[in-house]
Formats: sequence, C-alpha cells, structure tokens
Amino acid sequence: MKSKMTRTILLITILVAVASLAFTKKQQKPWAVPDKASKTANPVKADAASINTGKAEWAKHCQSCHGKTGKGDGTKSGGLKTHPGDFSAAATQSQSDGALFYKISEGRDEMPAFKKKIPDADDIWSVVNYMRTFKK
Amino acid sequence: MKAYTNTYCSIYKVALLVLLCFTGLVKNGYGQDSTATTQDTTAHEAEEQTPTPKKSKPVKETFASIWILDNQTVVVPVKGTMELDFMHRFGTIENGYQDFFGLFAGTNIRLAGNYVPIDKLMVGLSFTEYNLTWEGYAKYALLQQTQDNKIPVSVTYYGDVSIDTKADPTGTLYPHFSDRMMFFNQLIFARKISDRFSIQVAPSITHVNTVQGFYPGDTTADGKSVLEKEMHHDHFAIAFSGKIKLSNTLNLLLNYDQPITKHMTNNPNPNLSAGLEIVTSAHAFQVLIGNYRYITPSRNNYYNNNNYQDGQWLIGFNITRLWNF
Repeated sequence: MKSKMTRTILLITILVAVASLAFTKKQQKPWAVPDKASKTANPVKADAASINTGKAEWAKHCQSCHGKTGKGDGTKSGGLKTHPGDFSAAATQSQSDGALFYKISEGRDEMPAFKKKIPDADDIWSVVNYMRTFKK
Repeated sequence: MKAYTNTYCSIYKVALLVLLCFTGLVKNGYGQDSTATTQDTTAHEAEEQTPTPKKSKPVKETFASIWILDNQTVVVPVKGTMELDFMHRFGTIENGYQDFFGLFAGTNIRLAGNYVPIDKLMVGLSFTEYNLTWEGYAKYALLQQTQDNKIPVSVTYYGDVSIDTKADPTGTLYPHFSDRMMFFNQLIFARKISDRFSIQVAPSITHVNTVQGFYPGDTTADGKSVLEKEMHHDHFAIAFSGKIKLSNTLNLLLNYDQPITKHMTNNPNPNLSAGLEIVTSAHAFQVLIGNYRYITPSRNNYYNNNNYQDGQWLIGFNITRLWNF
C-alpha cells in the first residue's frame, strides 16, 4: 500500500516536472551586434519631444510583448517561446544606444524587424531614448 | 429649383471656406506647434552654419490607417507594404431587438488586398458582397505635408473602378458589359493640425455608366430605366473627416459626406459617421456607426438611401492587417 502511494507521488512529481519544463520559456540567447552598429552614436537628443515620440511608437509596436514599462509582461508575452526580457535591468540598460537601435531595426526570431514598420530612423532612436526611462 | 441652387451655392461656399481655413493655417505651423517655432529658429541657424540644408521630413501619422470610416485617408503606406482589409456593414438599427440593432440583419462585406510597389503609390483589388462588386483602385500621394511646414498640406489622388458581377440571366439589367461599371475619382486634402488633431477634405466625382433604378422594370418606351433619364451620370460630392487622438493607440474618427450634384429624383442622402479606432503595430480596428452601407465608394456616394434624420444608422467595422516586405 505504502509502495503504491510512493509510486503515485513519484509519478505525479515526474509529470509536474515535465510539464513545468515544457511551459518554461527559453532564456534569450546572446545577440551579437556588429561593432560599427554598436558604436553608432544616437543622433536624437533625449528631450521631451523625442521621449513622447518614443512613447507613442512603443505603445503601438512594442508594448503588446514587452509591456508598458519594458518588463516583458505584455499581453502577448505569454504566447512567446522566448521571454522578451526585462528592459529595466542592467542587462539591457548597459547596452549602447547603437546596439539597441540595431536590435530594434533588424529583429531576430520572434522579435520582428522594425526598420520598415518605423521607416524614419530618428523614430527608432526615439524609442531607444524612451527605453532609457525604464532604468531602475 | 432656386432654393436648391441657393442651398448648393451655400455648400460650395462652406467648402471653399474650409479649404481656405486649411491653407490659412499654414503660418501657424503644424502639429508639434509648441516646438515648431523653436525648431524653425534652430533649423535656420543650422542652415547658416552648414552648407547642405536638412531635407524636410513628412509629418507622421496624419491618420493611422488608409481608411477613415467610409472614406480613404490621405495616407499611402510605405513602399513594400501589403495590406488586407476586412470591412462589414450591418443592417440599420431601426428594428431594435428584433434583429439586434441590425447585427443579425443582412450584412455587406468587403475583402480587399492592397500593395505599395513604389514610393507613394498604392494599388489594390477588392470584392464586395453587394452586387458581387469587384473594384480595382490606385492611390497616389501627390504632396506630403512636411514637419517644417514648407508643404502645409498633404494631397492624395484616389481612383476606383468598380464592376458589378451579379448574374443577369435575362440581360435586362446589364445589356452591355460597360453597364456594370462605375468610376470614382477623389482628391484628398489633409492637414495634421496638431499631434492630436488631423482634418481632411475630399471632393469627388462619381461616374455611373448606366443608372440602375431601384425599380428596374419601370422603363420608358425605348427600354431605358426611368431613373436613367432623371439622374445624371456624373455626381459630385465632398467629404469632411477628422481624427482626434485620444491616446497613442486610440483615436476618435468623424466623417461627413455631402452630395453636391442635384438630380431630378432619388437624390442620395448625406452620410454622417463616427467611430473609434484602435491601432497596433500591424492592425487598425475601426468600429463605427454611420449611414453608408454599400462600402464601394461610387455606390455609397450615388445611391445612399439611408437617412440619418430618419434614424437609418448602421453599425460597421473596418479591420486592416499590414505586412512589410
């Protein structure tokens, strides 16, 4: 009787473990940015107008996955295979403006390329400026 | 007749006044008005220091979609954009609960695909349920309002050819293929007044090859529809539209279409519509209430028999889906 219960508990534990592995989101793999892109300086001053532009573009293009404050908790984030990341953390905030610009423009895997959806490069730089407001 | 003439003279005057107001705003600067003066001064100083002046940039998002309720907007998407449109117009709300305010009544549906092969030009093809109407259309941005206000308004041309393909087994409705065709040409003038407010004025002409009366059997001795003799083939109209931005992803849309040409009978009614627009990265959703039910622009302008004064409103929606290649 005792051994049957042990087996059942063991089985449930294995099932739960397998299920939780299946539903765990992949962590982001490293994203190499070309040196030239990474070193490109942001030509748009982070003034109120740029922050407003960035905020508007963020609400339209980014918020559904990355969340309102960049924590990766947008309404569509649940359906993604890879966690969108927490942009308020040092891992993102320590990256150069050029690196963030490159990633937004080019995209990768589930992250779409936005260079055509946001055709004015200055607007993408404004999104980078807005992302800086997420810093903890 | 004189009363009609006076009425329509007044409409022309109002339209002219609106257009003048439009261009009169030139000096006030667009949109980001509070920063425009500073930007102009800075830009002027920069021009003195650098030999190559900065290129003027077009304003962003005068409207969020190619549609503003029942009309095209001045917007032409960026080159390489493909778009699918899904549009529904339900029945009129008059019957209340009996057909759930028209939602369970007959619906008119339009499916469309658009593509932007080169800068500033959009072409498209659509199929509408009413009369199984196919449309081919093109839209070209002739002028784009610039952020530095050097060009104060955007101007876009929109042309649309429609062909009814519904069956005519007796050959009485469409004796010739050309009888199935209608043409719609429109010039769209728009101005982004501020970050939150854009307006648009769009005069149009509709040409109907053969006027199909509402009573096709009612013909004269020579076999022509009675209405054909009493309605002009060409019909002028003007549309006034506006967008108020409520948030970065939500807009309030307003639209009014005024017929101008006066026919002997069956004059189309004006259309008044209002709606909310939700915008995402690849979609625009517009939910609206208005009077136009045909969706096809030529038919809406020429044949609209819903009258807002009689409560003949209907609910509808437009959905657009964009892809960038």
